[in-house]
Amino acid sequence: MSNTETVKSAVAQDKYPWSKYTLGIGGGRKVTSTQYTLYIVQIAVIIILSYLSVVMLGPLSFSGISFFYFVYPFFMVFTEWWGLWGILAAYIGCVVGAGLMVGLGIVPSILYSVADLVPPLVMFIIYRGFLGKMGIDPLFRDLTDKQIGETKTHRGMAWVWFILINVVVLNLISAQLGIGIEYQLGLVPPSAYWYYWAGWFVGDAIAMIIITPIIVKGLTSLVERQGLVNTGWIT
Amino acid sequence: MAKEDAEARTKKEYVRTFIFSMKVGTPVEKLHVITKALMIVIMSIVALYMFDIPISKGGPDIAGLVFLLALVFVLLGLARSAKYLVTSYLLLALPVLFGEFFWWLFFDRALPGPTIPFYIWPGYFPIGISTVLFLVVFFGLYYRMRSVMWPLIAALILWFISITPAFLDVYPYTWVAIKTGGLFAFTLPSASVTVAFGKVLGYGVLIYTSFLFLLTTRDTEIAGALRQLKASFRAAFFAALMFRNLNIILIDYENIRTAQRARGAEVQRRNILARIVDLAYIAIPLVASMIKRSTEMGVALYARGFENAKKPVDYKETKGISYMDVIVIAIMVGFLVYTVILGHTIRALI
Repeated sequence: MSNTETVKSAVAQDKYPWSKYTLGIGGGRKVTSTQYTLYIVQIAVIIILSYLSVVMLGPLSFSGISFFYFVYPFFMVFTEWWGLWGILAAYIGCVVGAGLMVGLGIVPSILYSVADLVPPLVMFIIYRGFLGKMGIDPLFRDLTDKQIGETKTHRGMAWVWFILINVVVLNLISAQLGIGIEYQLGLVPPSAYWYYWAGWFVGDAIAMIIITPIIVKGLTSLVERQGLVNTGWIT
Repeated sequence: MAKEDAEARTKKEYVRTFIFSMKVGTPVEKLHVITKALMIVIMSIVALYMFDIPISKGGPDIAGLVFLLALVFVLLGLARSAKYLVTSYLLLALPVLFGEFFWWLFFDRALPGPTIPFYIWPGYFPIGISTVLFLVVFFGLYYRMRSVMWPLIAALILWFISITPAFLDVYPYTWVAIKTGGLFAFTLPSASVTVAFGKVLGYGVLIYTSFLFLLTTRDTEIAGALRQLKASFRAAFFAALMFRNLNIILIDYENIRTAQRARGAEVQRRNILARIVDLAYIAIPLVASMIKRSTEMGVALYARGFENAKKPVDYKETKGISYMDVIVIAIMVGFLVYTVILGHTIRALI
């Protein structure tokens, strides 16, 4: 590769302020003790928020289902910040916080929590792998900010992709997985399947639309400024 | 001095668990955490199997589920945790179990077999067992709560439920029927009552086995068990750190909520949307304090040489597998094989 091509490639790679956030491992850096404790504490936070989402706003709390699962946007945003650790938090948070701690039982908790594992995993791949290169910020800042650094954002497009992927498609998969697994385990009455399904879908969708911009506006700059956002899956 | 400290720690009468504390020296406390985990996994699988037996194969194994539920309460009693559970989670769980019963009763209507009638209103005002139930519940709750509203609501709900089954409108259940007119009735498959009851018992087993584990397990036990399972010291340490942080974060959450109330956050009556946004605003300082705390912990670990430690001092909270563990595991595996794998039921034994 010639020098000119190398420069062009580098410019292309840094086309956006968020170009450093990719699907790489994380630059081969060792995970420091501060990062480890951060990842562990965020898992604990997700466990507590999952627990509160279900016990405070779950009329069917022992099914692990909430009509307003307000932890959902938190682990989605955490995944964009901390990659694999956010995905781990989503799963463990659901098993322990929205499962065991509300009394769902260990086997159903382990199985139905797959519904909280898949959406952040797919979202991370889509945003960091594809949408980031198309001018959509993987950290969701373009939902609230007109400009990130020197780059003007496409707020309309950001919202369209956000609604389409996170609120509709991934939420649909999550509801189908969660309620489907609970139904197979005999925890959902056959004639009430779609009531449970709608409760799951609507509860997560409302939380995602309302809370995500608040978290992004309130915290993303703080986290990024401290250098705590992962550039890849691990670090 | 260090030896004395270690002895003082091990001579504690009560130790903190995930959601309460447990008495040291009870048979449940002496069990290895792996045994307890295996026990609740097997009980969960068996409960899920028992309450899902189709009607064509005899329906839910009610006797088996009652046996499992009794076993859980015996274990909670042995762990000396039953009193705490009765005064906290048991009461909280009862309305949910009650709700589950009706949910399954009305949303599982495609079951085969004969139907039975139920009343929305029987066309008369009954005086009988339902009246006794109303009075007992109302005065019982009033004596405990010293308020009229909630005891009245609870008593009315139970009274209404007790008059809905049509087969209860005869003596000795109903003594006097004061005619009012306006009969409203519907039918349900008779099997749905058994299924709903089975589901409630099964849910009970799932709920209380979860609490059995959380009430009788310490975070350090999990770390110790992970080390015994050959997990790295780092993985075990961080698992313990995660569970230890749960209580701290819950306290943080309560503090932030109290601070927001002190600033008048809940003074005005606000719509549901505003309350939802409030939840997000509570979580933001929570996440900010999380970042601050984890940075402090990380620095503390770094200062103690955690990153370069080659032979860290290992967990001393590790137990060996005792004869009692082996016996409990054998019984549980036998129970799993008998019910789920061979397909036998406890009711067949009775």
